[in-house]
Amino acid sequence: MIEEKCQDYDDNNLVTLSINDSQYFYCLMKRYEEKLSNYIKRFTYLADEDIADIVQESFISVYQHLNDCDCKLKFSSWMYRIVHNQAINFIKKNKQSIKIDLENDDEFVDWLVADTDIEKETIIKYFNEYVKTVIEKLKPIYKEVLVLKFFEDKDYQEISDILQKPMGTVATLLSRAKIQFKQIYEKEKKY
Amino acid sequence: MKKKKSISELTLKTITKKQIKPIPKWEFIARKWTLWSGIIASLVVLIIGLGLAIFGVIDNIISPYFWLIIVIIFWGLSYFLFEKTKRAYIFAKWKVVIVINIIGLIIGGVMFRCGLAKKIDLDLETKLPYYRQMVPMKIATWTNPKAGYLSGEIVKINENNFEIKDFEGKDWTITGRPLIRDRVSKITGEEIKLIGVQIDDNTFESSEIRPWTGRGQNMMKENY
Repeated sequence: MIEEKCQDYDDNNLVTLSINDSQYFYCLMKRYEEKLSNYIKRFTYLADEDIADIVQESFISVYQHLNDCDCKLKFSSWMYRIVHNQAINFIKKNKQSIKIDLENDDEFVDWLVADTDIEKETIIKYFNEYVKTVIEKLKPIYKEVLVLKFFEDKDYQEISDILQKPMGTVATLLSRAKIQFKQIYEKEKKY
Repeated sequence: MKKKKSISELTLKTITKKQIKPIPKWEFIARKWTLWSGIIASLVVLIIGLGLAIFGVIDNIISPYFWLIIVIIFWGLSYFLFEKTKRAYIFAKWKVVIVINIIGLIIGGVMFRCGLAKKIDLDLETKLPYYRQMVPMKIATWTNPKAGYLSGEIVKINENNFEIKDFEGKDWTITGRPLIRDRVSKITGEEIKLIGVQIDDNTFESSEIRPWTGRGQNMMKENY
């Protein structure tokens, strides 16, 4: 079976092999299918059929551009970038907004409360009914960075490669996301 | 019950059915080379433009506006094309802006300092039709015989010399064996500019005669 054969190869080897044999590309798709579907789901809230379409379109695009693979980057970053752009295009085309599906993640909550006067217990207690609403109101680019950092566990370099922004800008976006979160949180608290 | 096909299976089926193939490598290489050639070409024009614009502003012999417009257009083009390259995103936009400005100003400034900008301007005047109409001379600069520049209208052709009336209305006798540029007819009524040395109050020894503009039209007399 091709899938067993593929286990011995890393992503970059599979890219090289896929150029001449699409069966190897199947292995690459298998590796990323679930991860990419979950990623789109987290920041788009789209229906499963739409997500499947986006992932399929992205795979075809990746396949056509295999000879242009920026293999100095991690292959996963390149794959995420293409699927990210496809998803953003889909959202724009269908005039939808970015809605992120976040969980009560420890690392995320710690980051959110660090250097602010917001209490961790409050965030955890009201995460589903309150914090999520505040996050919903953040600028789309802030939501995208948050998803990649805390829910896809990407480092700054990978986020920079996926969103095609300098690493310094990624750090700035994260910091601004927190500032905006705090502003909206304080405003909402008054009501 | 039939098992639902995964996205990967469906995609592979589509690839096989539609006979989709990876785009050949040479196409990407050609695109990359075209892009970088465009960047280099537009940077070269930007640098030349800056050199000539600096020449126009500092030496005040030519009008700098045409070259300033060229600088703006090719600055934008260089930036736009660079942003299209694969790894442009790793650089902050303000850094790209600063680097383009520094490259342009340093090389353009060197071009001006070593006289290359002036040489290019004079070459373009003789080789490029309509150039002097787009980049007119400043008349005040060309009515400065002590500095070796004189201009005016030919009023009389003599056997060994000729006479002109400069744009201030003063009469001059022009001597010497000047190099006469292609588009100078040396006929009465023609407007010309001269490079040379002032001999006395009314005599100017010319080493070169050029038409006032590319096509004999004076575009910047109002500047005087």
